[in-house]
Parts: sequence; structure tokens; C-alpha cells
Amino acid sequence: MLALLPRLRRFAAGLARDPADGDDLCQATVIRALEKRDLWQPGTRLDSWMMRMMRNIWIDESRARTRRGETFAAEDAGLSVGSSGGQEEAVTLGVIDRGLRTLPDEQREAVLLVVVEGYSYKEAAGIVGCPVGTLNSRLVRGRDALLAWLGDGV
Amino acid sequence: MSVTREELAAFADGQLDEPRRSEVAAEVAADPALATELGRHRALKQRLAAHFAPILGQPVPTGLSALLGGPEAKVVDFTAARQHRAARGFPRWGWIVGPALAASLALAVFLPQRTPEGYADPRLAAALDDQLVASQREGAPTRILLSFRKRGGQYCRAFSGAAHSGIACKDGTGWRVEAGAGGAAPEHGGYKMAGSPAAAIMAQAQDMAAGPALTADQEATARARGWR
Repeated sequence: MLALLPRLRRFAAGLARDPADGDDLCQATVIRALEKRDLWQPGTRLDSWMMRMMRNIWIDESRARTRRGETFAAEDAGLSVGSSGGQEEAVTLGVIDRGLRTLPDEQREAVLLVVVEGYSYKEAAGIVGCPVGTLNSRLVRGRDALLAWLGDGV
Repeated sequence: MSVTREELAAFADGQLDEPRRSEVAAEVAADPALATELGRHRALKQRLAAHFAPILGQPVPTGLSALLGGPEAKVVDFTAARQHRAARGFPRWGWIVGPALAASLALAVFLPQRTPEGYADPRLAAALDDQLVASQREGAPTRILLSFRKRGGQYCRAFSGAAHSGIACKDGTGWRVEAGAGGAAPEHGGYKMAGSPAAAIMAQAQDMAAGPALTADQEATARARGWR
């Protein structure tokens, strides 16, 4: 599980749209995985199992937060995506971040799982819990929106 | 024969099965517009990958890796884990739980009944016992906001974290949670956004305190005496 942490953090940062919130989410996922480790079936992929857990925690939390009408406040600044880059690079990275933010959650998670995490459509559909065809169309819509957002800059 | 957007994206992802893959490859080769579109898909993939790649290279925050014992922590086996492994022969993961923080997490997870009602659980208590405001780790699961003495002389500490926030005061039994949402079972598997409650807790601390917050030196002295 330790070896998975960097990848879990990456997915969490994309999902939560903020690296610090991503780390909170990551922590919650690890704690829940420890609690539920007896439910993990040996021989199945641990990474998919944890990504699914993280994704479900994120959705629960998003719904709860919407209900409470709370604003986000990160516990600490955490990492900063692209912080090492120069001004120009930072601006470019900002475009990707903002583009991802414009996507509905379902499209964003599809893009992250397939394009960033490299899951097959089938695996990604398993993590999200939807049919492969649905995953495919969310992915295409998300991709097209990102391509349109980036314009000729891709 | 035309290529749908879904097919082109799947082709770019290497997710298209034969014989369709070869057909699409032929279409792309024959159609410059399709080839351009495919190029855009691949460029997008590269940009997204490059965008998130730095996270993989960053050190994992200690608060996170500590949950699993950290790379150099000693391995502590739990009986159940051992039985699992013996029975199934698969590599261990979650139960690579080190001492210190991770051990107290395990206590919190498995032995919640050991914590008296209204008192900090072992994990929180460990943070309250050990962490100093001045020197606490960046990204620690629980952050101590400040320490003070309330009327009567008891030491109290305001804390904020992913699982709970509040004010706890030391008495003969342990750290009694006197304000905030502390001591409660964490909601949603311990996932609660921190930050916003901090202001309210600071205000409560101000009401409870008999004097100003402890300085770093006073805090260190109090810790050395076990907060008594």
C-alpha cells in the first residue's frame, strides 16, 4: 500500500482539484482501507480497490459538503502542482487545472483514470461502477471538452 | 467507413480491439484530418500525464506514510494479519504498521472501547501528549493550535485535524475533550475537512483560558511534566 501512495495522491489531487484536499482525501482512503482490509480479495488489484474506495469517499464527501453548504479550507498548503515551473510553465499548467475544473465529476474521473492513471476502459468502468460504454462516452465528452478548452494549444 | 469519436479516442488509448484497430489505423493513415485529430488526442494525453507527473516524484507527506508505518518503521504483525498470510500466502500491506503514530491508529481502529467516554482516543491523545506547537510536523494528522491553562490550573490544548477538532484538557484519566467535535467517531471514515472549525475553537479557547497561551518554553516544560 505504501508503494501505491504516490499514485493515490496523484488521483486524489485530480479528483479533489486541489493537492492539499487531495492529501486529506488520500489519508481518509488509507484509513478506510486499513479498516476494511478484510474485504479486499487477494488476487484482485489493490490499486483498483483503493481507487474505487477513494472515489466513493470523494463522492460522499462532495454530497455531504453540498448539503452543508460548507466552503473548502485546507488543513495545510500541502504540495503545489507545477510549483517548480517557471512563470510560463505555471501558466500552462494552470490552463490544464482550470480545464479539468470545468468538467463534471463523472467526466473528470473518467479522464483521470484512463488518461492519467492508464487504466483500461474496463478497469476504469469497474472502479467507477458503470458500464464500459458509459465510461467510454464520458471519457470522450471529457476529452473533447478539454481539447476545445485548450484549443490549438494542445 | 467512418471512425467515430469514441473509436478514435479508444484508438489513441490503445483500447481498440482487432480487427477494428487495424481498420482505424488504415483510416487514419489515409485521412490527414483524422491523423491531426489523433495527434491532438495523444498530445492531450501527454500534457495531462506531464501535468500530474510531479506528484509521483514528490515525497509522500509524513502524516500519510506514517499511517502505514513509513518505509523505515519497524514491522509489527497483528495476529489476524499473520493468519491471513499463512492461510493465503499473499503479501502483507496494510498491517505493515509501525510503532508510534501508526500503532496508536491501530488502537483507535480496533479497540475503540478502551477510550473512556468523553476522552481523546489513543491517537489523538498521543498527539496531545507529544506535539509541541512550535515543532510539530508539517502535515501531521492533528495540529495543535495552542496550549493554555484554564481556571483551576489544568492544562488544555486546542487541536484541529482531519478527523476532529476541539479543546482537550488533561486530568487524572486522560485528555478530556471539553469543546468541539473531538472524541467522536470520525465521520465518513475519518474524512472531514479541517480549517473552518479552527476559528470557533480559538474563540472557545480564549473564553476558557485563565491567561495567555503558553509560550514555546512553557509548553516544553509542561510536556516534560506530563501536562500535570
